[in-house]
Amino acid sequence: MSDIVLNSVSKSFGGVRVIDGISLDVPSGEFVVFLGPSGSGKSTLLRMIAGLETIDEGSLTIGGKRSEHLAPGQRDVAMVFQNYALYPHMTVRDNMAFGLKNIRMDKAQIARRVQDAARILEMDALLDRRPAQLSGGQRQRVAIGRAIVKEPAAFLFDEPLSNLDAALRVRTRVELAELHQRMQSTMIYVTHDQTEAMTLADRIVILNNCRIEQIGSPMDVYLKPASRFVAGFVGSPGMNFIKAELSGEGEQQVATLGNGSKVALQIDLPPGTYELGIRPEAVQVSQTPAATTGKAAVVERLGDRTLVHLHLDDGSALVALDSGRSQIRSGDTVHLDFDTTQLHLFDADGIAHHAK
Amino acid sequence: MTPNTIKRINWAGGIVTVLTVVIAVIWAFPLYWGIISSLKPENEVVRPYIELWPDTLTFEHYWFALTETQIGTWYINSIVTSLGVTVLTVSTSMFAGYALSQLRFPGRTVLWWLILASFMVPTQVLIINHFVLMANMSLLNSWAGIILPQLIHPVIIIVYKQFFDQVPKDYREAAAMDNASEWNVLFKIYIPMNWGVTTALSIVTFIWAWNAFLWPFLAVTRTEMMTITVGITQVFDAFGVYYARQLSAAVLAGVPVALAYLLFQRRVTQAITLSAGIKG
Amino acid sequence: MLRNTKKEWLIGYILVAPFVAIYGLIFVYPTIDMFLLSFQDAPLIGAGTYVGVDNYTRLPSDRRFDTAFWNTVYFVVLTVIPGTFVALGIAMGVTRLSGRIQSLVLALFFLPYILPVSVVYRIWDWTMNFQFGIAMHVLDTLGIDRVPVFQTSTWFMPAVAFVTIWWTCGFSVLLFLAGLRAIPQDIYEAASLDNTSGWRTFRHITWPLLWPITALVLTIQLILQLKIFDQVYLFSQGGRPNDNLVMVYYIFQRAFVNNQGGRAAAIAVVLFIMVIIIAALNFQLMRMSERRK
Repeated sequence: MSDIVLNSVSKSFGGVRVIDGISLDVPSGEFVVFLGPSGSGKSTLLRMIAGLETIDEGSLTIGGKRSEHLAPGQRDVAMVFQNYALYPHMTVRDNMAFGLKNIRMDKAQIARRVQDAARILEMDALLDRRPAQLSGGQRQRVAIGRAIVKEPAAFLFDEPLSNLDAALRVRTRVELAELHQRMQSTMIYVTHDQTEAMTLADRIVILNNCRIEQIGSPMDVYLKPASRFVAGFVGSPGMNFIKAELSGEGEQQVATLGNGSKVALQIDLPPGTYELGIRPEAVQVSQTPAATTGKAAVVERLGDRTLVHLHLDDGSALVALDSGRSQIRSGDTVHLDFDTTQLHLFDADGIAHHAK
Repeated sequence: MTPNTIKRINWAGGIVTVLTVVIAVIWAFPLYWGIISSLKPENEVVRPYIELWPDTLTFEHYWFALTETQIGTWYINSIVTSLGVTVLTVSTSMFAGYALSQLRFPGRTVLWWLILASFMVPTQVLIINHFVLMANMSLLNSWAGIILPQLIHPVIIIVYKQFFDQVPKDYREAAAMDNASEWNVLFKIYIPMNWGVTTALSIVTFIWAWNAFLWPFLAVTRTEMMTITVGITQVFDAFGVYYARQLSAAVLAGVPVALAYLLFQRRVTQAITLSAGIKG
Repeated sequence: MLRNTKKEWLIGYILVAPFVAIYGLIFVYPTIDMFLLSFQDAPLIGAGTYVGVDNYTRLPSDRRFDTAFWNTVYFVVLTVIPGTFVALGIAMGVTRLSGRIQSLVLALFFLPYILPVSVVYRIWDWTMNFQFGIAMHVLDTLGIDRVPVFQTSTWFMPAVAFVTIWWTCGFSVLLFLAGLRAIPQDIYEAASLDNTSGWRTFRHITWPLLWPITALVLTIQLILQLKIFDQVYLFSQGGRPNDNLVMVYYIFQRAFVNNQGGRAAAIAVVLFIMVIIIAALNFQLMRMSERRK
């Protein structure tokens, strides 16, 4: 099967770098998600793999074949577009068959492939309809079906769920995961939605400013973000960031926060000023008096858990997690316990260091 | 708002509505009068008072026009030349509009500006040179000679370019992923996606060509080559001073385009507004 | 997107080729030829001799040119603004209607536009026939003397203008209707909540919002009516064409009746330049009013 290998590829639009020397190796059968904010270059990178954008520098290999100069249709990849781009004047069947007819596949085989794809996606009944007669979710399936019939080396998805409503998005997400498990094919998926990235990906590639910030499994990225950017981008609610002075010796360090409270942690870093990052779930509301206290400003009750938005004495903001039955009310003074094994320190360059 | 004002507004609205309908009926009355006169016997036509319905309904004038004049030949000439103008204008405009909208090639911008400029040029001023050109090509008194000078309709290219510009580029990319050749992109995607506008433009081009008077009038001198719009007014001895006969010939000339309009009212309306530069 | 430049050029040229060929033969070449011919003393068909601007310099003292020019201007005055207001009035009435009634009424107003000029000519020639025309019966009942409208110089242009408005008004009505539909309904609702009267609503909402369409209709009508020929020619048959000359008619007369291709071409160039100037002026005006917004 196929590997997709990008070797220091770059691209500029009119003198502006949009992709800057990216290298990436996608092994066969892997589900890779390109995650990043808009303008990070994630869609451009996907379109470069598809052949819809040229690759200015570097090389692209798909299944061992150099592909950067091949036309889109000859790269053995299939793409699902954000707006689906279903041909409005063709039936579902013709939409799926169009690509196969273009390579002059024989009719019986086309019919078989369309039938198979329809069965996999449970849309046999829709084959003779036109896109205008389908719901948003059904169009999405057809768009995937049009990719499946090509039996490509890799599937490329460009924000495929962004046009669906919230409920349908969750359902389709699960279906996509099932589809990947069943087909075991390589999939590259672009999204700005971290939930989609976390739930679908074998590996997440986080892009920012035309570069890769981090590549790793969802839990890697979540627990050990490589940079201040990744730490802030992944996770909802977002990670808390507080200025901290680090002092101490060897691995035994003490971080002094802005309000004067001290947090002891194990980390191998020279003393100095850092940004301390901690996820809300590592900031527990304590029933007993603790080193750090804050004043609850807003209390968000989500049912299974409660988010408490706090202000420390020096005014810095912090979000803490409490149980669903939390008694805290706005204006209460709250005592906070930090899970010191889940602390991250970010240096001036934004590089992350993780506490032990 | 008091009940009183509501009543007043409805009154005013009602008057305007009734007035509009009445004016519409008066507006179309000459059409009715022309048709009804063509169905009266000649002696009844010239009665010195108004008769809204004939005493004796007769089709004798139509029978006369169809059997005793060359109107059948003129019909054929009109149909052939109008279809020719329609097919040639719409197809060449469609292809050129597509190229101007979707493809990059040297000379594209110049061509586009030329088309926009020609939009302003009145083709009527070219009659002399068209005549000389057709004479030199020995095309006077021929179908081709009637058709050729009528093929300048820059507005159709402009409308096509607008429509092709509006097709999201996703379709082109999807087609590229589907291995479609440039020809397949054109013939299997862009043209079929815009059948609606092609239908609309074809219908109005046909109507324009059918109604054309000045050029077919100049290009043809032999009665058997005339189009119907020219023939019914230029062959004086065909009908004589028989008003009902003349009117029946006029009705026969108008029926095809009137039918085309009544059958495709929505499409004609769309094409007319598009041709004036308003999105339909 | 990945593009194959050479192939794209080739396909582009193949696609524009038929159009460019026809366009070159039927439009570009005749236009150039018209200018060249206007500097020659030439018959309609056959070689001519270069005479410089003679064909132009004799126009100011040419009585028939004078008639043609002023008749064209007269005709434009008679048709363009009245026709535009009639169309606006009809559109305001039609837009109030809905459903089948609306499409029926619209069809009644629009049907004349769809008909060939010959049919329009036959119908109105009959309606205004001096002896038997129904319009004359109407004049009789009103106690007005009958007039042979198309045989009388005074009445000819107004009558043809009237028929022309009747014939082409449907086109302008359609444009106005499209413009009226584009005005958001909630503006009218807001106005009615402010107790705005019908006339004030029209004056302060409909008219300003409809102005771009009105300008468009005026322009299209203006350029169209400058090119008037068909109706004038047909209604002049058996009448006095020399009194009723308009620009295109005069081109036709010089070229096809007097067999003077060169002199006809000079008149064609004058009309050509008139239309271009008006189109260009209008384009500038439109741009200026755009910018003011």
